[in-house]
Amino acid sequence: MRRTLDLLPRYLVLVPFAALFAFPFYWMLVISLGTLQSVFVFPPILYPLWHWDNYLSAVGLLPDPATGATLHIPWVRYFINTIIVAVGSTALVLITSTLGGYAFASMPFPGKKFIFGLVLAIYMVPTEVTLVPNFIILAKLGWIDSYQAQIVPFGASVFGIFLMRQFFMGLPHDLWDAAQLDGAGHLRFLWAIATPLARPPLVTIALFHFVGAWNSFLWPLIVTTSDNYRPVQVGLQAFSYADATNPVLHAAGSFIVTLPILVIFLLAQRQIVGGIAASGIRG
Amino acid sequence: MALLIIFVLIPALWIFWLAFQRWDLISGTSDFIGTANFERLLLRDDIFRKSVWQTVYFVAATVPISMALGLFLAMLLNQKMPFRDFLRTVIFTPYVMPIVSTALIFGFIYHPDVGVLNAALNVFGLPKINWLGSPQAIMPAIIIYSVWQHTGYNTVIFLAGLSNLPPELDEAARVDGAGAWTRFWQVTWPLLSPTTYFVLLINVVASFKVVQPILVFAGGVGGATAGGGGPDKAAETIGYYLYVQAFAFFHAGYAGAISVVLFLIILAITALQVGLFSRRVFYR
Repeated sequence: MRRTLDLLPRYLVLVPFAALFAFPFYWMLVISLGTLQSVFVFPPILYPLWHWDNYLSAVGLLPDPATGATLHIPWVRYFINTIIVAVGSTALVLITSTLGGYAFASMPFPGKKFIFGLVLAIYMVPTEVTLVPNFIILAKLGWIDSYQAQIVPFGASVFGIFLMRQFFMGLPHDLWDAAQLDGAGHLRFLWAIATPLARPPLVTIALFHFVGAWNSFLWPLIVTTSDNYRPVQVGLQAFSYADATNPVLHAAGSFIVTLPILVIFLLAQRQIVGGIAASGIRG
Repeated sequence: MALLIIFVLIPALWIFWLAFQRWDLISGTSDFIGTANFERLLLRDDIFRKSVWQTVYFVAATVPISMALGLFLAMLLNQKMPFRDFLRTVIFTPYVMPIVSTALIFGFIYHPDVGVLNAALNVFGLPKINWLGSPQAIMPAIIIYSVWQHTGYNTVIFLAGLSNLPPELDEAARVDGAGAWTRFWQVTWPLLSPTTYFVLLINVVASFKVVQPILVFAGGVGGATAGGGGPDKAAETIGYYLYVQAFAFFHAGYAGAISVVLFLIILAITALQVGLFSRRVFYR
């Protein structure tokens, strides 16, 4: 009882702060469940009005209550595009991180130190700086408006290579000796023994990369020109700027785009927060 | 590895070549114009000059606030207590949420007439502010958003740093009768300096290259043909100006010159921080 009382001042500070941090999500819900009239009242109505049909209007199953017109937003296409890009680039990153990390950890090759230094130096290059040349490279490859434009440039991650290298360096050398006695080469050892053991760092890398890919906005905005390849983030931007005029539907659209990543985050928050605490990665 | 070289290393070196060209992204034509891009950028471009100051403003406000708040919350959470993980998760959530949708909601919160933030100010008898529509308020609005977004990250890193500190020292100071304030400044703060230093470096670099919040909050304000950037270009940052020059005006060479300057600034900041602080940081 005494301990709880000691903690009380902490809660008195922490809970209002937590409420402030959570408020925008609550507000997203309130606006998305309001009406065109209710969201333009001052002072604002602070509780949801439960107009769930706004969500049906946002996805085009019902007409927009404000204009009476039905929206035709290819949300399904956007979501499929995002899933293809997020899954594809995550898979690619897992492969390159495993191979690269293993090579740097366990295989001797000439210039290894120098190349590893180069990899770390690459970590210092901000993506914003390489925006223009990367765009030109993709344009030369004819990849503008495609999935590969959104996947391949992000197919290798310094953070992933580094994390896997640390992990493989920690593996007992006896494992490799035993595998060699059984006639296994590097690739077979990696596939059959080392990678299954590396589940924890692989999960961390996958989660980070997936969340990052799901949220990525600036790059797909630049390299996609049609709805065929646009991910949800860019779709939402177009939706809120051009396609829909009713702000209530903008909020509903935001919530639709936010919900999947919110669910993934809440399910995996232990690994994500733990991974950040351990590695300090910053997207 | 090849991917990293093609999509990071080569582009990073290429900007130093691009910056000396007049390069049109639409026609794809280019010709060598020497240092003309840099001359224009550094000597005659008022918007670029403004963008540098606005970037400094953004960094100088966002980084200290989100770090101080992050450390404060981490100190409060650094104890076994019920709902600790829950509170930490709530504070961290904004960091992993998509920027377009959260910025959209902040647009509602910032609404000049019916926004909930102005309503809150109203309760305290303060006047309404035209958050995203006035040159004085748009940068603070974006800063508030960025603090909201990044504080959770700082909290988590500080929490990890705090949990690595040996509890004996704090305990010893407590036995000696030191109060919480003294214990923080005399024991925790110096011991935590490697973490603080790391967080500072990461925060400064990340906020220096800010583009996306500017794009979503100010991209359509101030006239799309003029490149946006908010009323009176008050939200123009270096990263955003780079984006506009390249992908709204298609001046790839000029954008390359901006990239070079941004890259050098970031390298200089990193080197400066490493040089300034690495010797003063207390390593155990």
